[in-house]
Amino acid sequence: MAKFTINGEAASVDVDPAMPILWVVRERLGLTGTKFGCGAALCGACTVHLDGQPVRSCSTPIAEAEGKAITTIEGVAGPEGELSKVQQAWISEQVPQCGYCQSGQIMAATALLRDNPKPSDADIDAAMAGNICRCGTYVRIRRAIKVAAGLEPAKGAQGVAGGQA
Amino acid sequence: MHRSAAIPATALALILAGCGSKAEAPVEQIVVRQPGQPAASAPTAAAPAAGDLVAAGKAAFAVCAACHSVEPGGASGIGPNLHGVVGRAVGTLAGFTYSKAMSGSGITWSEAELQAFLANPSAKVPGTAMAAGQVADAQRRAAIIAYLASLKH
Amino acid sequence: MNDMTKPPRSRAAKWTRRGFIGAGVLTGGALVIGVGMRPGNPVAKLGPVVAGGKGEQLINSWLKIDADNVVTAIVPHCEMGQGAHSALAQMLADELEADWSLVRVMQAPADGNYLVPDTIRAFVAPGTLDAPDWLEPTWNGLFTRIARLADGMITGGSSSVRSTGQHTMRIAGAAARQMLIGAAAQEWGVPAAEITAANSMLSHKASGRSAPFAKFAAAAAEQDMPQTPVLKQPKDYRLMGTDAPRLDIPAKVNGTASFGIDAKVPGETMSYAAVRRVPVPGTRVAKMDASQAKGMPGVLQILNMGDFIAVVADSYWQAQQALNAITAEYTKAESPVRSGADQFARFAAVLDKAGESGGKAVVTRGDAKAALAGAAKRISAEYQAPYLAHAPLEPMNATVRVKDGRCEIWTSTQVPLMARSAAAKALGLSADDVTVHHPLLGGGFGRRLEVDYVVMAARIGQATGFPVKMIWSREEDLQKGLFRCADLSRIAGGLDAQGRLVAYSSVFTQRHDPADACDCAFYDIPNKSIRHAESDLHLPFAAFRSVDHSQQAFFIESFIDEAAHAAARDPLEFRLAMLGQSPRHKAVLEKAAAMAGWGKPLAAGHGRGLALVESFGTIVAEVVEVDMTKGKPRLTNVWCAADPGFAMNPDGFRNQMEGGIVFGLTAALYGEISLKDGAVEQSNFHDYQMVRMDECPAIAVEIINGDHQKLGGAGEPGLPPIAPALANAVFAATGKRIRALPLAKQFV
Repeated sequence: MAKFTINGEAASVDVDPAMPILWVVRERLGLTGTKFGCGAALCGACTVHLDGQPVRSCSTPIAEAEGKAITTIEGVAGPEGELSKVQQAWISEQVPQCGYCQSGQIMAATALLRDNPKPSDADIDAAMAGNICRCGTYVRIRRAIKVAAGLEPAKGAQGVAGGQA
Repeated sequence: MHRSAAIPATALALILAGCGSKAEAPVEQIVVRQPGQPAASAPTAAAPAAGDLVAAGKAAFAVCAACHSVEPGGASGIGPNLHGVVGRAVGTLAGFTYSKAMSGSGITWSEAELQAFLANPSAKVPGTAMAAGQVADAQRRAAIIAYLASLKH
Repeated sequence: MNDMTKPPRSRAAKWTRRGFIGAGVLTGGALVIGVGMRPGNPVAKLGPVVAGGKGEQLINSWLKIDADNVVTAIVPHCEMGQGAHSALAQMLADELEADWSLVRVMQAPADGNYLVPDTIRAFVAPGTLDAPDWLEPTWNGLFTRIARLADGMITGGSSSVRSTGQHTMRIAGAAARQMLIGAAAQEWGVPAAEITAANSMLSHKASGRSAPFAKFAAAAAEQDMPQTPVLKQPKDYRLMGTDAPRLDIPAKVNGTASFGIDAKVPGETMSYAAVRRVPVPGTRVAKMDASQAKGMPGVLQILNMGDFIAVVADSYWQAQQALNAITAEYTKAESPVRSGADQFARFAAVLDKAGESGGKAVVTRGDAKAALAGAAKRISAEYQAPYLAHAPLEPMNATVRVKDGRCEIWTSTQVPLMARSAAAKALGLSADDVTVHHPLLGGGFGRRLEVDYVVMAARIGQATGFPVKMIWSREEDLQKGLFRCADLSRIAGGLDAQGRLVAYSSVFTQRHDPADACDCAFYDIPNKSIRHAESDLHLPFAAFRSVDHSQQAFFIESFIDEAAHAAARDPLEFRLAMLGQSPRHKAVLEKAAAMAGWGKPLAAGHGRGLALVESFGTIVAEVVEVDMTKGKPRLTNVWCAADPGFAMNPDGFRNQMEGGIVFGLTAALYGEISLKDGAVEQSNFHDYQMVRMDECPAIAVEIINGDHQKLGGAGEPGLPPIAPALANAVFAATGKRIRALPLAKQFV
């Protein structure tokens, strides 16, 4: 029985301790915002935070999370759904295309800005190079990180209404 | 006439072949149990004996192997080749481009340094490209380091 | 530049018929246009299917309005990152005069009512879109029938905006606006002409009355469908041509966006399948040893399906672990190709046989053979492009429930009705017994125009009898899927004494789409012979983003660069001199060159290269600056100028250019699927490398709206110029001409 917190709530699941966090989160806890992309810690789509550190959940066994706090993309916004600065910048800069990698990108960017609130281009390269975007939105990801850091003004509208019916 | 990308090959073949063909049955179907039924006691892997630390480390290294090769002289992948890494100064492997953070860290990889790094890569080397390579479990970490230390000429 | 005050080239009546025929019927040669709530019309039939929410009223097939005055556009194309859902809603909302903050978008169900005949028409016979009015019903009827037969609910060919957007969504919006106004006119007892629509409100100035659209939604649906809805002229565009924020983005930043892989079967315990297909195309599983796997945790069933092995388990991870423990032997491959060298040797043999005039003529102009013979200078080169995997980040997957003679499928697909038919056929069911749900796609790039993975999942689901979610590993995706084909091209050119390209002759082995990708018609070259000498492929083919342009642009624009250097001319000047008949192309090239500061001095070891390509109706020029000082290519900047006719959403269009450039850069620098013993060698992203953040250049994009009557696409046209522009830049920096992709391999 693995015990941990997930987005602030206590959880315990009865699974093989070797099962990667990714599958526990997606299949057992029903949180599907964290994505499977490669299964080998090569693409970053599965990035979650473990006690605040970004980890590749596809290659990190649930045993590693024992007694720790897992944060997924679903836990980034505030309790009332208010978006984080990073999420807001992702909207104002209209970053996503297909969107599949973006949960992982946002988790990586969130950790970067917490540790390094004013990152340089080289810092952004180093922190984000583990996350593949097959649609090629890197230019916008870079800009959104700078917007979230207050290094550049937002380009588009904030808090855009609308959504997928 | 050339084939349009808008009408894929499989679909065209389908239209031409018509529908209602017979379903293809499995050649072999092994039914272990139904969904929702409890499993017969599943075998669990025994914890490795202390003497098998290197073997356990080799097994645990499977995750790391996605990025790191370990054979002598092997090509570096996403991360550098780790043959003989214990005792090596960082940033010295030819042909691999290190992050600025790593090459400027001045570390020479002792087992203790590896312990600290693997426990929390970003804390040990802020800005490392291996931010996601944390091995939080102390036993697994020790096993992986024992395995790495065994990789010598 | 065209006169922007002219209305779009549409006889609105024609557009109306075409726009609604997708949901209407053709009887005895006469068009019956769906009207109001008449029995048998699409609104009555579709209402329960697509407008089940609270207070929702379907106005016509393509939009509904709810009690809160929210307008939902029902879009027949899929959303895979190209922004079609939002752009099409934007076009509809502009004609409707809806407030963008009150607009939502909904994926149209996989249903014969949501065919896209204009997309097929634009592909198969684009000339018919300019048919005279009296012929329109004939073409319209024909393509509607073709769409039905061909399961024509397709997203591809960079076509959604210029086909369905222009010919369906705008008309639906304009018609609904007129119907709302008509209903308000009746209720208020005022002339319809005095009522205005703006920001989802109707108002009558003289009487001071106003009301939200929602108030008249039900009455509007009873109105006669306008036969000639009036479409806006560009000067009246309010949303079209603006950076209206995309509707699908908010759900993509908080984890709530639902992709095919996230599907849940309502009320069922999920089981998961991992699969292993045969390693070499065309072979079969000869022997399977699952003795170890069947005792492993979580395993429910192990299936040898002949062409693949599947393990079904309580968890996908358990299924994959057990699959890894299965050993198998396979039948011998028939294809003699064992390596990439074998494949290219076969191509070379075909081209050798074709020689200087053999193969099937695609373009013939003047007398290329004679012009080559008489040229002052003759150059020739051979170019090659490897196999590529599409590698969308969402691996192939499908969730199925086969029960009581019915099959329900949840999957990411560009062709939901083809998926339905293919699954029906594989299971021996009728298509009516199969339902396909298709949520967002985690990338398509052409891979999801094929339905092989859907059929596999359906077969597993039929064998088990309980719901199963099948997911391919990344290794399966890269090794056993369908591929952008490899190709070899030989090009010869002749320069006259003034250094002008007067003869051009090319021959290559692969031709799929678009038909004109192998040509460069905008360059004025008096003598041309472009030929296709077909060779078989070892790996199965699937259209790849920009399809043939992904190779041909590299061949053609590399060669044009070589010709410029052979003529001792600047590559920009050399091209401009050939663009006398193509003012839009010239403007695009000049813009890109100006953005890049073409001709200005560069740092030592740096080089600039350019390329100009028209694909899917959009003209794109890209200039690359490359830094070769470390001995391998590092791109510092890409400048891109593009003319899509008119960009409906400029920011969305720029995003697609940026994405096309990065996607094409990955292919140009690293992309290679190679063979060993007939099987694919690469297995995951460590050996099938992608461009990442640290290698992504700065990208600047500028748009020229060159002709609002002639729209081009967005999803693909950014890709083709990047590979030749990069190779040309490397040549400028180093003097080394790269004629075989991928490029980075040449600088190890």
